[in-house]
Parts: sequence; structure tokens; C-alpha cells
Amino acid sequence: MNEYVLRTNNLSKKYHNKMALNKVNLSIKKGSIYGLIGQNGAGKSTLIRLITGLAYPTTGTIELFGKSNERELVEVRKRIGTIIEGPALYPHMTASENLEVHRLLKGIPGKECIEKTLALVGLQDTGKKKVKNFSLGMKQRLGLAIALLGDPEFLILDEPINGLDPMGVVEIRGLLKKLNQEYGITILISSHILSELHLLATHYGIIHNGELLEQLSAKELNEKCQQYLHIKVDNPNKAATVIERHFATQDFEVMPDGSIKLFAYVDLPGEVSKALTNEGLVIEQFMPMGEDLETYFTNRIGGVQHG
Amino acid sequence: MGNLMKTEWYKLRKDRSFWVLTLFLIAFAVLYPLDQMRLFEGVSNLPSGNDFYRGYVLSINDQIVRLFPAILAGFFIASEYSMGTMKNIASSGNSRIRIYFAKLTVFSIGSIIILLILPILMTGASAIYSGFNIMPEWTFFFQTIGLITLYAAAFASIMALFSVIFTDSGKAIAFLLLFFGLIGSLLEFLSAKVSFLEPIITHSIFMSHESILTIDQIGHWNGDDVLTFIVVPILTFLVFGILGSFIFRKKEIK
Repeated sequence: MNEYVLRTNNLSKKYHNKMALNKVNLSIKKGSIYGLIGQNGAGKSTLIRLITGLAYPTTGTIELFGKSNERELVEVRKRIGTIIEGPALYPHMTASENLEVHRLLKGIPGKECIEKTLALVGLQDTGKKKVKNFSLGMKQRLGLAIALLGDPEFLILDEPINGLDPMGVVEIRGLLKKLNQEYGITILISSHILSELHLLATHYGIIHNGELLEQLSAKELNEKCQQYLHIKVDNPNKAATVIERHFATQDFEVMPDGSIKLFAYVDLPGEVSKALTNEGLVIEQFMPMGEDLETYFTNRIGGVQHG
Repeated sequence: MGNLMKTEWYKLRKDRSFWVLTLFLIAFAVLYPLDQMRLFEGVSNLPSGNDFYRGYVLSINDQIVRLFPAILAGFFIASEYSMGTMKNIASSGNSRIRIYFAKLTVFSIGSIIILLILPILMTGASAIYSGFNIMPEWTFFFQTIGLITLYAAAFASIMALFSVIFTDSGKAIAFLLLFFGLIGSLLEFLSAKVSFLEPIITHSIFMSHESILTIDQIGHWNGDDVLTFIVVPILTFLVFGILGSFIFRKKEIK
């Protein structure tokens, strides 16, 4: 059985003289939530448009559910639900009518799925209200409902929480986690709200200037982003003993340069420094360190970009 | 293909421009003969059935209503791009060619409905108002109904192609109204200047559609008539349909 839902091989897209995507090798494992991180114009939407068949690659290949032939790709896209660059809706229709269009399109028998899906995204009470009178948040939810119709195995969501209020964000996050954990749906989600992605994604891809800079799991990212106290003293061995004895922890690392990374007690730096000085150690450097996703991303793409 | 057709049919039934055009034409078909008969009252005899059908029903249909599907094309086809809904359709796991032909087929049906309202309803209404005194000859009536259907589909395939190119309802409607409003005169001018184009232009749907009004004057149809009035509209539908589907297949959807 294929372990990957999606794999791209040297996928490139050129518009006029500009490379929108350059030799992207991305892979998304079945059952994962893949957070695609990138600035505006980094190539996220281009990549999604190529995967969903809205645009064609200049070079390279796409493999979806193990299929890479063009005809087979069209067929397996039936197993995908999408929101691409915002929800695409018929404004003069109601929420139910919008879903009816997609129910017919996907050939889903019976209309029960419409009410069920509307309830899933909290739009069951919209009645005869036309979509043109919906708030942005309601439109996002309806876009998600359309993507969920027909029980897709793979969801591709481009900025799905844009315009949602804080409660809406929490609800949609909960829903996506539920879909992933209970139904095993693989999700590719692109967002510029990195703190949100951090709460959701199991894997990350960082894209910049059309290039996929890095793919890493949440575990790997957490290791890279882990907070710690950077301690440099005159006697690192004694400091290690003091920490072990005084704080009853081995959650630290003595680095080759003699500095210590203390991963515990990060929120109690005063206690730590007091314990070290009480033992007669001279503190040369002492500071909390580590990165959050935002800092990691900014550093990875080469600092803050001004545009 | 069945799912796509059902989807497009559902969308046509929900399309407001389609209903506005249809209801406007129904109202016109019912009220206009009343107004005309009021004018003839006490002045002269009512025109004959064929004259009324030819002079009022068909000529209004041919000169004005023929352009109405351009409005439907803008809202039913081009607006799918501006609303972004074409992205959902194109990524739904259906081939582009099937998507295009489903859209074209249902749009053609919509155009045919619009173009048949006056010939059927206005004729019916005027017949009722006159006590069935101004009925056209059945042969003439059915010949025109058949030809209007064929020509509506042929024009629809051209409109669908340009709607896919323009991808914006406003631009598509403006272009199509201008194009269909002027193409006859332009081709006439061209055929007068370039003699070898004259037979092609004469047989094109842009010129031959006007002859539907006098189709009863062809006593016995010869090969050339069949070619002009039957084969050319069908070929036009197929050629522009295939061309449109090819453009849509290659098109990147934004």
C-alpha cells in the first residue's frame, strides 16, 4: 500500500520568465497534517493549483495516491476536497443549494449528506439566507463544508481560517483534528498564521521564492524550536552536578564549548542562577534561548523580508 | 458526464439571468400581440397568420432576442471564473472536455428555451386573442421551430467559446453583443470585397439565419438548402464546441 498521498518530483512552474516553483520535491504521508508555510507569493498557491489540476507543470511530475498519469490524476482527484485561494461559492444560492451543486457534481446519492455536512461546520441554521449575505467566516465554513462533501481522503486547504473569529478558529481547528484523527483524512493546509499551524500540523514544508527549503516533522521542529536556558560558567562539570543535585533533573546537555543547555526550569531562571552562584560558580553567560515557529521560519528564509 | 449535466442543469434552473430573460420574454409574448391587435382594431383587417408570424414573431426574435443568450453566456459561463467556482468544478475529478461539453450542452438548451419563447408563446397568445384567425401554416411553423433550435445551439457554441476566453461576465457580454450585432454587416462587406469568400460567408450561420423568416418560400429543398440550413449549423456547433473544449483544456484556471 502506498504510504504517501502526495509526492512531487522536481515540480517546476514557469510564468513568462519567472519561476513560480522550482524543482519542488514534496511528500505528504497518509494520515498527516501537512502545514505549508510561506510568504505571499512564495509559491504555495501555485503548488496547490498544480496539485489540483488548475494549472499544468512546466516540468516535473505529481503523484497522487500513487498515480501520476494525467488521466489517472484526473480520476483520483475525486478523492480530494479543496479550498483554493478562498471559498468559491454561488452568492445567489443558499448554503444548502451550494452543497447541492457539489453533491450532484460528485454524484453522491441522497440529500442527507447536505444537512450532515452543514451541521459539521455549524451552518445548519442558515435556512434560506443567500450566501451573498454571509459573513466571511460563514463563507469559510461553507467552503470547508464543500471540501468535506463526499468524504474525501485528502483535504487541500488554502488559508482555511482566514476571516474566522477566534471561536471559529478554535472550532475549525478542532474539526480538522477530528477529521484527521478519527477519520484518518490527510490534510494539506497552507496558512500564514503560523501559531495556528503550530497547533495543528504534524509535518511542515517551508517554501520560499518557489523553492521548498525544508520538510520536517512536528517533532523535529519542536526539537529545533525547544526553549532552554543557555548557561556558561567557569566550571561546567560542577554546574552540571549542581543542577542535577539541586533540581533533580537530567534534562540538560553540556555542549562541546562548555556551555550548558538546560531544558527544564526555563521559566525559573532566577532560581537556577541563584543555585549556581550559591555554589560559588561564576556565571559568564546566562540567557533563555530557543525559537518559536515564527522565528524559525523567519531565520530559515533568511531574515525578515521587506517588500 | 451524467453528474456534470445534472449539475449544470441545476445551476441553470437557479440562474437569475436565465429567469429574468425568460420571464421578460413570456410577459412580452403575452402582452405584445394584445397591443398590436388594439392598433389594428377598426383600422384594417388583421394580418394573415404567416405574415404576423413572419413580420412580428420571427423578425423580433431574429433581430433582438437572438442576442439575449449573450447575457446568459456572461452569467452562466464567464461568471464561473470571476466567482472562482470554476476552480471547484475543474478540480472535481472530471475531465476538462466533459466539463466543457456539459456546460455547452446545458447553455445551448438555455439558449434554445429563450429563443423559442416568442415563436411558441407569442404565436399561441395571438392565436387565442384573434380566435385562431392568425395561425401560421403548420409546416412553416415547425420548420422555423426546428431551424431556430439548430441555430440557437450553433450560436451558443460560439458564445460559449468567447465566454471561456474572456472569463469575466461583463467583458463577455459586451463583446458578444458587439460581435453578434456587427458580424453580419462586417461579413457582408467582406464578401463584397473578397469574392472567393462570398460562398463561405453566404452559407455561414451569420448570414443564413435571416432566411428562416422566409423558409416557406423554398418549395422543394435541394442539397444546397440542406447544407446551408442543416449541415452548417450542426458543423458550426461541433467545430466551435471542439475548439472551445480545446481552449478550456489548455486553460489555466485562476
